[in-house]
Amino acid sequence: MSIAFSVENLYFKYPTSKTDIIKGISFDVQEGEIFGLLGPSGAGKSTTQKILIKLLEDYSGSIKYFGKDLKAIDKSFYEEIGVGFEMPVHFSKMTALENMKFFAGFYKNTANIQELMERVGLWEFKDVKVGEYSKGMKVRLNFVRAILNQPRVLFIDEVTNGLDPKNARTIKDMIAEYRANGGTVFLTTHLMNDVEQLCDRVAFCVNGNLQEISTPRDLKLKYGKREVKIEYRENGVTNNALFPLEKIGSNNDFQNIIKNKEIETIHSGETSLEDIFIIVTGVDIK
Amino acid sequence: MNYLLKLTSGEINRLIKYKILPVSLITSFLWIIIFLFISKEDARNIAPLLIFIDVSMMSILLIGATLHLEKQEGTIKSMMVLPLSVGQILVAKAFASILLGIESVIVTSLALYLIHGITFNYLLLLLFVFIAGGAHVAIGFFLALSSKDFSSMLGLLMAYMFPFAIPTILFTFGVIEKKYEWFIMISPSHSASNLITSVVINEYDWTKIIASNIYLLILASLLFVFTVYPKFKDNAIRG
Repeated sequence: MSIAFSVENLYFKYPTSKTDIIKGISFDVQEGEIFGLLGPSGAGKSTTQKILIKLLEDYSGSIKYFGKDLKAIDKSFYEEIGVGFEMPVHFSKMTALENMKFFAGFYKNTANIQELMERVGLWEFKDVKVGEYSKGMKVRLNFVRAILNQPRVLFIDEVTNGLDPKNARTIKDMIAEYRANGGTVFLTTHLMNDVEQLCDRVAFCVNGNLQEISTPRDLKLKYGKREVKIEYRENGVTNNALFPLEKIGSNNDFQNIIKNKEIETIHSGETSLEDIFIIVTGVDIK
Repeated sequence: MNYLLKLTSGEINRLIKYKILPVSLITSFLWIIIFLFISKEDARNIAPLLIFIDVSMMSILLIGATLHLEKQEGTIKSMMVLPLSVGQILVAKAFASILLGIESVIVTSLALYLIHGITFNYLLLLLFVFIAGGAHVAIGFFLALSSKDFSSMLGLLMAYMFPFAIPTILFTFGVIEKKYEWFIMISPSHSASNLITSVVINEYDWTKIIASNIYLLILASLLFVFTVYPKFKDNAIRG
């Protein structure tokens, strides 16, 4: 596997701001992985994405796209990447199909529009003006727009925000299939459910710095408590017991409860990504 | 070039879908009604003003409406991640706007000929409309990109009209004397009006015509390169 993006010592400042928005971050995005960039609003994740998709160019540091200097790559870069924005980005007085055909007209390689729209459940509404679409339909159409050119790297922002569970599942399945077929995904979100289900690795962006880069599993192990909590019933009352994971197989008290009590629940002390988000960023996402 | 054609045809398609082209056509047909009720001499005198309004003020208004609508819809952001340059996107928008001016010229010219038998150098008028329209599209971009929303854009347009467009209208009706014309030619709108008027009334003051052309071309180039291009890119990125 090669490296899709290699970012080293990236700094960025908007012309109107006094201080750097991005403060010397470094990370790699491997080809074929789903990389999640998480962080609270204003942390710099959108700016990072805008830099990676070449909308912002006055940065310092080095960014390599499959080994080539990103600054040296011309507009053909957009043949290879797909960008899914969080907000609707379509002409409201045109139908969904007219929108898709218009955007598809600028790419050399395009996916089958009908197949994509059928998959997300929009084909039967292809002749409806986008302005008449619900929020969820617009989000699904945004996703179709993002993968219209069969991109090598897909950038998506809050991809399931505003979708019902069924449609969110469809989009996540499509992303997983895209990755399984060799695609690379750069996901920015604060929806931890998406991260848990999709991301191979995540990075937490806080005040323009990256605080953690790891797999969701390793983060859970790092921030979780190495303990087991058991709820069991005894004499008509629910009791709790907490045991350290170390040598739990030879812990007599633990063995005793498992063998002799009526167990109601058993939980390991691993924490959720939501809790890790709060610990790392210091911001409550609820 | 292929992409530029696709972009321009997309712009024109949207002008139709968003009912801008039909409204513009209706406005042009209103001019025809006016021509039906006035004399040949009056028609020849008032026609340049009507074409000037379509080419200048309507172009500014159209660019403002289009840009603010697209900003609201987020489509500019989506265009920025296509394999296109910002220059191509801007040129396509400019072409589509100028086309509206040309549409007005065609309808007005046809009406003048059919109703009053008035003819003039159509090719020269098209060339001048292209130059005048281009400069006003650049002004339209500048005003739209300097405003938060369409309402504030209208405020800026009014602020532009008072010093730059109203004197031209006053000049057309003889309120401002001819001896002050060089002074008001500092207004791009008056330079545009001067070009259109000279063709329609068949009176060519080549010093003023050359000066107007050079002025409008330089102004449009400077605005596009130093203001419109960077502001458009910045606005698109900010969304």
